[in-house]
Amino acid sequence: MLKHLFKEITRRPMGVACLVILAVLYLGTVFSQFLAPYLPTDQDLTSAYHPPTRIVLEDWRPHVQVYEQVDPAAARYEPIEGETAPIKFFAAGEEYRFWGFIPAQMRLFQVEEPHRIYLLGSDGTGRDVFSRLLYGAQVSLSIGFIGICITMTLGFLVGGIAGYFGGRTDFLAMRLVEFIIAVPSLYLLIALRGALAEHFEPEQMYLVIVIILSLIGWAGAARIIRGMALSLRQRPFVLAAEVMGQSSLRILFRHFLPNLASYLLVAATLSIPAYILAEAALSFLGLGIQEPGTSWGLMLQQAQELKVFTLNLWWLLTPGAAIFITVITFNMLGDVLRDIVDPRQQMVKR
Amino acid sequence: MVFKFFIPTSLAHFLAAILLFFALASCKGDIPPLDREEHDLPRDAEISRSEPGKYGGVLVTAESQQPRTFNPLVAEDAYSSEAIGRFLNGLTTYHPIKEKVVPELALSWDISKDKRAITMELRRGVRWSDGEPFTADDVIFTFKALFDQRYPNRYMGQYTIAGEAIEFEKLDRYTVRFKTARPYSPFLYVIGFIGILPRHVHFDAFERGELLQQWSMRTAMHAPRELVGTGPFRVRSFRPGQRIVYEPNPHYWRVDSQGQRLPYVDYLITRYVQDRNTETVLFASGQIDAAAITPGDVVGVRKNASLHDYTVHHRGPATGIRFLWFNQKPGESQAGTAYVEPHKLEWFTSRKFRQAILHGFNREGLIQSVYFGRAQLLHSIISPANERWHNPDVPRYHYDPDRALELLRQDGFEPDQDGHLVDKKGNQVSFQVYASEGDDITPQILSTFRENMRDLGITVRIRYLDFGTLVARVSRHFEYEGAMMGFTGGADPSGGRAIYLSSGRLHLWNPEQEEPQTDWEARIDELVYASEETFDLDKRVSYVHQMQEVFSEELPLLYLVTPYAYVGLKNRWQNVRIPSMGSVIWNIDELYLGPEK
Repeated sequence: MLKHLFKEITRRPMGVACLVILAVLYLGTVFSQFLAPYLPTDQDLTSAYHPPTRIVLEDWRPHVQVYEQVDPAAARYEPIEGETAPIKFFAAGEEYRFWGFIPAQMRLFQVEEPHRIYLLGSDGTGRDVFSRLLYGAQVSLSIGFIGICITMTLGFLVGGIAGYFGGRTDFLAMRLVEFIIAVPSLYLLIALRGALAEHFEPEQMYLVIVIILSLIGWAGAARIIRGMALSLRQRPFVLAAEVMGQSSLRILFRHFLPNLASYLLVAATLSIPAYILAEAALSFLGLGIQEPGTSWGLMLQQAQELKVFTLNLWWLLTPGAAIFITVITFNMLGDVLRDIVDPRQQMVKR
Repeated sequence: MVFKFFIPTSLAHFLAAILLFFALASCKGDIPPLDREEHDLPRDAEISRSEPGKYGGVLVTAESQQPRTFNPLVAEDAYSSEAIGRFLNGLTTYHPIKEKVVPELALSWDISKDKRAITMELRRGVRWSDGEPFTADDVIFTFKALFDQRYPNRYMGQYTIAGEAIEFEKLDRYTVRFKTARPYSPFLYVIGFIGILPRHVHFDAFERGELLQQWSMRTAMHAPRELVGTGPFRVRSFRPGQRIVYEPNPHYWRVDSQGQRLPYVDYLITRYVQDRNTETVLFASGQIDAAAITPGDVVGVRKNASLHDYTVHHRGPATGIRFLWFNQKPGESQAGTAYVEPHKLEWFTSRKFRQAILHGFNREGLIQSVYFGRAQLLHSIISPANERWHNPDVPRYHYDPDRALELLRQDGFEPDQDGHLVDKKGNQVSFQVYASEGDDITPQILSTFRENMRDLGITVRIRYLDFGTLVARVSRHFEYEGAMMGFTGGADPSGGRAIYLSSGRLHLWNPEQEEPQTDWEARIDELVYASEETFDLDKRVSYVHQMQEVFSEELPLLYLVTPYAYVGLKNRWQNVRIPSMGSVIWNIDELYLGPEK
């Protein structure tokens, strides 16, 4: 079935475009340690709010332009004519642990110290925005997947059981769902975050947020799955399985799950952007990831200052663009998937 | 005219234009004309030396916090105190330009030979804003109220000298005498802190035991005329979350040289806005008359200076201090756990360790990056803004990682083969620093600190808490290793007593000690007491200088940097004199509107 889906997606240009963009984003995330020239915490206090460095060709090899600070009060930098530093590809640099356990030194590109390369400029303490964007993606892009894994599992279990058994089980499960839907989520998040912040390291806060988000989020999915399960239960093949004495759990996983898979897939794709946005919103409000961690929301929060506009530090807003692209892509992919699964509601022309 | 603003020359103008649009949309019409009542001038009216001006004009400021009360006995925060100061006067006040104490409701004073009795003559003929006469009874009533056990307030401790409350008595209708248990040189300065309350308004409530319920936010909202004072203004209306409007007090006791009663402005309005950024945007788009500007915004705000005819003034170093410190409190909490683990307490109580940490902190780099070069290193517990009391010759700790490592080695620390710093007993050096959230510069300072400490082999973890939780942790539970905070500065060091004295409530690293625990803390106590007992200014300064030397040598507080303060003010206001410390519109009663350009 997955093979069929994949084939269908590749037949639509929109689907291909989405897959390519997502593949680029996620590969960038997975290999961020190799792709980023610096660690997200590497500072250079002498080049705060540095604009993106220009890349020039010298002897047919790329070099970075060297800049000097002309006015520290306005964070103004001017290129020094004729002074450049060569970009070294696949060279060894400061040691790091790839994926946390493989010791490695190689990086895709870097520049000899003391010069620095800023593809997307630097922030207030001279940290490379491009590197931080890549490392921040680890949080911002994985949060959706972890989130939907929890919500879809819970949603399927609770919804499926309620729909299949019906009666009192159904009643209890649905009242629980209603209870959770009735909880004002933003206030709950703020309260939980306030209560838990003292007990978790900033790095763990990330997991705490995902778990809080998904524990609130599964209820909606459970409702829809319950409805679908109710109608499935009346279908002859389920009745047949029951007559043959299959266990309830087996029916749930062997007969319900494959029939609900297409819905789950579309719903999951469409709800990933919600998690990405929720993380961004929480970090923006100061409730999410905190320094020294990094995420797109946190980077945006750090850019919500007047000077970003008055001094035109546009590169600090690139995390916003990244969030925008990711969310749009996931939504489009979700639409394409829905067209394949349910052609009656076609949105995108083939 | 308005359309001029809608040509977005840059993003900033565009945003300003959007804001302006909403501001115009929310305007409700013209300003109501002010009816200036004519009353006789008091006999002892003070004649302002400033240039005489003309009546009229509205001065608008913005604030991100609003007053929580209008009762001086209840007020704890700066915003309430500022609002109260608009309509109440003290006996004395500190003149930020002359840099000395000047009379307010007191006309003159006389200090006895033994320096313990101060006789004050009050201004005659002064009337409260409701027309009742002001007399010595009001002064006596105010001091009686603040020493009344039914009404706990912050002045009680301030006016308790050498363990005994100040004594006060009425000699005649316009004379009061104060007595202190020991000679106390900052007396004239601190006696001006409390605004004198009208006895005729509050006497009944005082007798009933309800004084602290008087003059709440509700009073200001529903019956602003009941806020009776002697100050330059009275409250006209108060809308929480929106604005407070003041109008001139028709009985104010200051006049200009032409006999016109001050203040000149028709209305003084403070708008309540969401945050600092909003205030800056409002100022940069010409909607408010004055605003404090942070170092990072100076260049951006100056771009609009000619468009909206304002100037951004440089005021020199800020008056407050910011610092990091380590918990040095020995002992255990009620739960039986040590406040600080014993081996860490040993590090934190070591002077060389603290000095090494400050040497290893790249504060110079912070100035260059985070503060856009508009700050200077802080070396002393009194900010360089306070020129009279600041000691420029204290030990300094520049960024010098080699020196830091050398000091750590002398103290028995050594880096191990992985680069981690370990102490004599083999413990890896790591600690946690708490800071308050909600400020954009703090995370930048602390992430730099963390990187710098990593270079020394020290692991620093940083936790952000909300301000209230942070204060509770460092001042009540004492369960922390390090923290970062700041204090606002006052003109006279007697305001910093609670920090300096080992028995002080704000002696952060080890507060409220029964006996000074270290020799240097005992030395500081001695110097503080000595400075409060001598009336010779040079001697006082020398004691305070010595105290700062001890602080900078021992470093219980690791000072950060002092940013330069900037303030924006519209050019149309005349008689503006910008002091190095305190509010810019401190002489609000003398400001008048010059000709429109």
